[in-house]
Amino acid sequence: MSRRKSFIKRSGGSEEMTLQITSMADIFTIILVFLLKGYATGAVSITPSQGMLLPEAQASSSSVEAMKVEISEKGVQIEGQPASALTQFAFAGAEINSNGTSKVLSAAFEKERKRQLMIAQSNTDVKIDPKIIVIADQRAPYSTIKTVLASAAIHGYTDFKLAVIQGE
Amino acid sequence: MSSVSFDNNSNNQDFELNIASIIDCFTVLIAFMLASAAFVSVGILDAGIAAGAATASDATPPPIQITIELKKNQTMTLKVTGKAQQNTDITSKNGEWDYPGLNQHLASLKSKWSTVDAVTLTADNDTEYKHVVRSMESIRKTMPIVLLGGF
Repeated sequence: MSRRKSFIKRSGGSEEMTLQITSMADIFTIILVFLLKGYATGAVSITPSQGMLLPEAQASSSSVEAMKVEISEKGVQIEGQPASALTQFAFAGAEINSNGTSKVLSAAFEKERKRQLMIAQSNTDVKIDPKIIVIADQRAPYSTIKTVLASAAIHGYTDFKLAVIQGE
Repeated sequence: MSSVSFDNNSNNQDFELNIASIIDCFTVLIAFMLASAAFVSVGILDAGIAAGAATASDATPPPIQITIELKKNQTMTLKVTGKAQQNTDITSKNGEWDYPGLNQHLASLKSKWSTVDAVTLTADNDTEYKHVVRSMESIRKTMPIVLLGGF
């Protein structure tokens, strides 16, 4: 990748010419600074699953850290771990309790809550957090959202943060 | 910028900084950052649930409770209970949810009951999540607190 080229004049006599790359370095510096600035300015760092379509809305961009619950067409994930399978956004009929919660999801939320409690008991600086970040596909029916939220709410997760794509 | 000259004992040494290696580094860094950059910004909509606390709150309940129900046929039902009773259907306009109409109703309630700042939002089971989010976004222009209900 040599940037120094020499040109020989045809009309006799040789002259060495240096490529001026100073301006290119300046441009690259500006691009790099711009990219670094925009690298982590989002409210929350999330990586939605493939095919996930987040709804669009005007929302706050303040940073939030909480447990992430993702609702996609094929399943519900808690902190990136598959918790319950869905068929076209729907829970299997037998999985729903009479109070509208999901058996499998309730167990998964309970496990997470117990883990938080254990950490809070051993470390007084850690507080039990009622927040969860809901990353749901915009096509999901409200019945599925309700089931997930109800399953979370009965284990103390009552402060929902809905992840959306920032609109204009 | 790239040319630096030194004056040492009246001997001029003019040389050029070799920035080719810096350019190489920048190219690699920019390629890496472009590949890993997120070009959409993710935001957060705050939502609570209408009845989720383990213990009863000491706060004085508002004079009226407002509930908005989203129907699948793009009709919104505004229900007011408490010191005032109201049941209003807001039908779709031009095949779209009539959010301006809803906000007009909410603004009139807000002017009458200034202490009310929360709304409970519910939806039919088949209502898509995007409509719930858009409704929340619209309602928050008039009522800052939107709680999800129906469960």
